[in-house]
Amino acid sequence: MKHKHTKILFVIFVNMIVLSGCSPIKEKNLIEEIAPVTFWSIRKGEDENLRMSTLIPPLVKEKKRLLTVQVDLLKEGMKGFNLKYYRELKVGQLRMLLISEEIAKEGISPLIDTILTDPDISKRLYLAVVRGNFDEYMNNQLKMQEDLDYYLYRMFKHYDNQGKLTIINLHQFMKTLHSPAHSPLLPVFEASEENFQYLGTGIFNNDKLIETTNYMEEQIFQLIDNDHFLKYFAIRDLSIVLGHVKANVHLNMDNTYSELKLNVQLNGRLDEIAREHKLLTRDELSRFESEIELYLEKQTIKFLKKLQKNKVDPLQLRKYTLRPFSKPLNGREWSNRWERMEVKVDYDLKIQPLTDTKN
Amino acid sequence: MFRKRKCIGVGKQMETSTGKAQNTSITLEVLRERVDNMEDAEVIEYQTQNNKIFVLIFIGTLIDKARLNEAVIEPLRLCNYENIAACISVSKITNISTLEEAEKKLMLGAILLFDTIENQWCSVDLKDPTGRGIETSETETILYGAKDSFSENLEQNISLIRRRLPLTALKSEKFTVGSLTKTKIVLMYIEGLTNPDFISIAREKIKSVDFDQILDSSQLAAFMEDHNHSVFPQFQHTDRPDVCAYALGVGKPTILVDNTPFALNAPINFFHLFQSPEDYINRWIVASFLRIRRYVSFMLSLLMIPLYVALTTHHYQMIPLQILFVLVETRSQLPLTPFWESLIMLVTLEVIKEASLRMPTKSGQTLGVIGGIVVGQAAVEAGFASQVLIVLVGISAIASFLVPNYLMTKATTLIQFVLLILASFLGVMGIFMGIILLFAHLNALTSLKQPYFTPISPFYGKDWLDLFIRGPLQWMKARPEALHPLQKWRYSRRR
Repeated sequence: MKHKHTKILFVIFVNMIVLSGCSPIKEKNLIEEIAPVTFWSIRKGEDENLRMSTLIPPLVKEKKRLLTVQVDLLKEGMKGFNLKYYRELKVGQLRMLLISEEIAKEGISPLIDTILTDPDISKRLYLAVVRGNFDEYMNNQLKMQEDLDYYLYRMFKHYDNQGKLTIINLHQFMKTLHSPAHSPLLPVFEASEENFQYLGTGIFNNDKLIETTNYMEEQIFQLIDNDHFLKYFAIRDLSIVLGHVKANVHLNMDNTYSELKLNVQLNGRLDEIAREHKLLTRDELSRFESEIELYLEKQTIKFLKKLQKNKVDPLQLRKYTLRPFSKPLNGREWSNRWERMEVKVDYDLKIQPLTDTKN
Repeated sequence: MFRKRKCIGVGKQMETSTGKAQNTSITLEVLRERVDNMEDAEVIEYQTQNNKIFVLIFIGTLIDKARLNEAVIEPLRLCNYENIAACISVSKITNISTLEEAEKKLMLGAILLFDTIENQWCSVDLKDPTGRGIETSETETILYGAKDSFSENLEQNISLIRRRLPLTALKSEKFTVGSLTKTKIVLMYIEGLTNPDFISIAREKIKSVDFDQILDSSQLAAFMEDHNHSVFPQFQHTDRPDVCAYALGVGKPTILVDNTPFALNAPINFFHLFQSPEDYINRWIVASFLRIRRYVSFMLSLLMIPLYVALTTHHYQMIPLQILFVLVETRSQLPLTPFWESLIMLVTLEVIKEASLRMPTKSGQTLGVIGGIVVGQAAVEAGFASQVLIVLVGISAIASFLVPNYLMTKATTLIQFVLLILASFLGVMGIFMGIILLFAHLNALTSLKQPYFTPISPFYGKDWLDLFIRGPLQWMKARPEALHPLQKWRYSRRR
């Protein structure tokens, strides 16, 4: 009996060792022989093709450099990179996909589908839209900062966990893309020779970028939808900065879906005022709060009207049409109603009382 | 041409050369013949005061000579009684009738006394008690708790246990095994508590041992184990009397072997190998933390290097980005693949570990320094190994020492090598396969015919209080269910 077990174990062991060498395509992943890339930057090349760039990972005494290829197809680019570099570039550690604004405006479905079907690429790949020439920025910065791609990834990861910026990964993007009447979002960055900065949230209609939020809209969007929190809420028109603003948002739709009531309770403190104010009494503070509330209401309505006009719903308001014993409205119906919906916004701001206010 | 001769067992060969010892009656001539050519054997004739002649036969190196003079020779010379045995002031005097018995007693440190008038042979036990005293355990060191440990003296070892369990129910059965060594084996158990099945299995197993030399308890364990080909020890080897007393108290038999400071406790399970006597001394929360730490260390020592090989050979995707960059950078200049690099480093580490054990303490320290510097720093600088691997090998080596059982530590090393090979061929899948096989093997093992992987499989819920954690003693009201003790409850009064 014991010998029988030993024989079985021996056969299993031999099989495991032999089978591992029987794969028809031998994929070697020895880390010293491969070059795992962390990002792809894709922009429009000359004519109708794509221009793909990536940064090759470092080796001892080897300078990092940006590889760029001009191709028609995404995977052709991958092959092109390998022809240009002595180590095989692998995409198993691809963490960021930066797409130029021109491509995003034309539609990113073909690119995303290609990425999605690749089993090596993780679904936790961060997507971003870049306005300007990212390659130029990279080439310029590499002289000063070698691990730039890694720091860029850390930035995405940091804000992914704690909010404040819109950070979307491939899985989240695909989920919204294929949800009826939901508009996908992606962060939009601006790249120049010296700078790479966050601009705002790019709002998509299907797979096409149609709008990027401006400074005020971005803050409102972060408050009412993304995190409901802003560490600094700068209102330039009123020359004030509110700090640690927490938003409590209540949405209410009537039964006929003709009216949307948005009630936002804001709690925060007054961090900075760049104009003269007499806020030493309760009444004055209350008047000041009303002034901010009015301003925010106006700005929010403007932002929502813009969304209605563009027939997009990045706030995913359709989910509020789900009622007990009834399904939510279908995509087309919601789209029609959302376009014509009357929007009422009410802000209720509570600034934490300053210690030296008089009653 | 040389030809193989038909093998005759040592015991049988001796029997044929000495004749049928058990049936031969004792005569002075035969005994003289037997001790012939033994330089330390003495045959002395004396006369008592009433002119009786008696003969003493003994092996000088085995007996206590001072006591021989004061307790045997002097009283016998002055003896006036008819029965000379009555004059001897030694408690252990037994009459003997067969030659085999006489030979055995003689060789175990007794003197043979022949009363020529009565024609009666008797043996007087005067074994030389010199030997190592009770010292501190070096293999199972603890900070708090009892410091005494077993020595090579069987009687002393039994007394150390009896002092802890002063019970008449604590039985000790004596056996003799080894056709050459005639090693005394003592099976101890608490009658009315220990499951009789365990006792009878142990008894049968000891009786069935048929070998010429049993010099150590490990050799006895090898004959008594249910699965000889497994790397896992199926007996708990301990030189701590408190551990034995605890084992006896929960319903396990203990086996003591003469001239060995290590006792055998069985049946054990896999998790016993991670328990230390200190667990029952520390506060239960601290003890639980220490025990969990031991399991984690065991897994670390087992999996760390194979995981390194699997990740760097097959699954670069799973490595965190920053570590990946460091790995790519350090590995890019190495001539060896991760598997060979790890294998060479592990073998070197094992060589150093083994050498430091065999060398004298002072040389061992030098070896440690040389090993640390040469294998660590120089190997990295020479480009044979990556810094990351050196760190991992170091952690894995230290982690392996956290397991209190030394035999288990050695088994871990061997399993680590198997997992390393699987990892290099099949990556993480190979490691998982290895672990599945390992668990399957553990599940199939038995110790004294009892399942080795209990209380997980078969499941005994209450025993989990003393498994991965060491629960508060107040909660451990029942003895381990897996041992099926005859007395279930540990407290004597009804609560």
